[in-house]
Amino acid sequence: MQKLGEFKLPHFFSYPPYFTLQPVRDTREKQVQLWKELIIDYCRAQKIFVIGLEEDFPLFSNPVIERSLSHEARVAFLSALISDGRAEWIDKGHKKCLILWHRIQDWADLIVQFVRENGLEDNVVTIEEIRSGTESRGTELYGMDRTVLMRALKLLEHKGKLAIFKGTSTDDEGVKFSL
Amino acid sequence: MRRRPGIGGLQNAAAARDQYRLLGENVAKLRTDLMKEQLATFRSQLEDFARKHKNDIRKNPAFRSQFHEMCAKVGVDPLASNKGFWAELLGIGDFYYELGVQIVDICLSTRAHNGGLISLEELCKLLGQRRKGAREAVSEDDCLRAISKLKVLGSGFEVISVGKKKLVRSVPTELNKDHNEILELAQAQGFVTVDEVQRRHSWPSGRAIDALDTLLDEGLAMIDDGNKDGRRRYWFPCVSSISSYAGADSL
Repeated sequence: MQKLGEFKLPHFFSYPPYFTLQPVRDTREKQVQLWKELIIDYCRAQKIFVIGLEEDFPLFSNPVIERSLSHEARVAFLSALISDGRAEWIDKGHKKCLILWHRIQDWADLIVQFVRENGLEDNVVTIEEIRSGTESRGTELYGMDRTVLMRALKLLEHKGKLAIFKGTSTDDEGVKFSL
Repeated sequence: MRRRPGIGGLQNAAAARDQYRLLGENVAKLRTDLMKEQLATFRSQLEDFARKHKNDIRKNPAFRSQFHEMCAKVGVDPLASNKGFWAELLGIGDFYYELGVQIVDICLSTRAHNGGLISLEELCKLLGQRRKGAREAVSEDDCLRAISKLKVLGSGFEVISVGKKKLVRSVPTELNKDHNEILELAQAQGFVTVDEVQRRHSWPSGRAIDALDTLLDEGLAMIDDGNKDGRRRYWFPCVSSISSYAGADSL
């Protein structure tokens, strides 16, 4: 079994035809499904939030069998993730893709859980503290993408569970929870 | 001797016929009794044998296969009924029915990957993985027996021979001779190219492409355009050793 660092690659990753978009519908569905799972699993394990379509993303090629995904194939797999609600194009040119191995709603739930566990209800924290503070160390929130975090916080704000405000002294924005 | 006409003569002839019939019946009865006796002895011997080697039959696939062979030679099918003394004695029927269910399961769960055609070798390997906890080892012979029992269901489970390999088919696809020959060719490397098929079989290109297209449509083949020489390769998961993997992931 091939590995990427600590990540165990599935066996289909070593089978050349999986790198060519299959023309037959049923076969392609299966192929797309396997790739979707692989991209999500890998991004989750490696905490990768953004995939650049034209960049050297490790999953886009397998040097061992000398195969790499065509542009068309990359777009096909990412688009499939997008239609599942597990990814979004960040830019208009569709060159960068945000991968949501947790949906925004799930991230929001994780934040609420984090707040409860640390007794931060009715407290004020900065956005950076959520991403890299000592409390978040060891949780899934640690090192999470700022865009995704903001989206989750906005969702919670919309539900009236917190308020986001601009700090007066620092550049960073603050969050006041009211769970 | 002068023939004696009249009622007396007819009666005599009838009496003689009766005598012959009686004698004949006696002989037949004797023979049947003898036969029955032999059968009873044979059966009890076979039972004794089965009882004595019960553990071997259960645990040792090679021994089991020989036992089946012996039974086949004398016209006994231990799997014919689940109610017979064989089932009570050996539990052998249940063993094969259990295998059958697991085989169906494996065939279904790998179908998306291999199009419903799997090599017997792979099937056995997956079966072994699934039955890790079970006491009895499973041989290819056991697989074949279990599959032959599945035919009763009419679901189109069939074992086909392609070249040196045996493939188990779980979809009602009809493979013609051309398809079989392509599969055989693919066994060497796991894939073929159109050129290769044309060259090896001296077919016109249309014939090769037609056959390959059918195999693609059936989900038995996958295309690969990534090779450096630019020639499209047709891969066959059912003959590549990799075929177990994608299936195994989802098992």
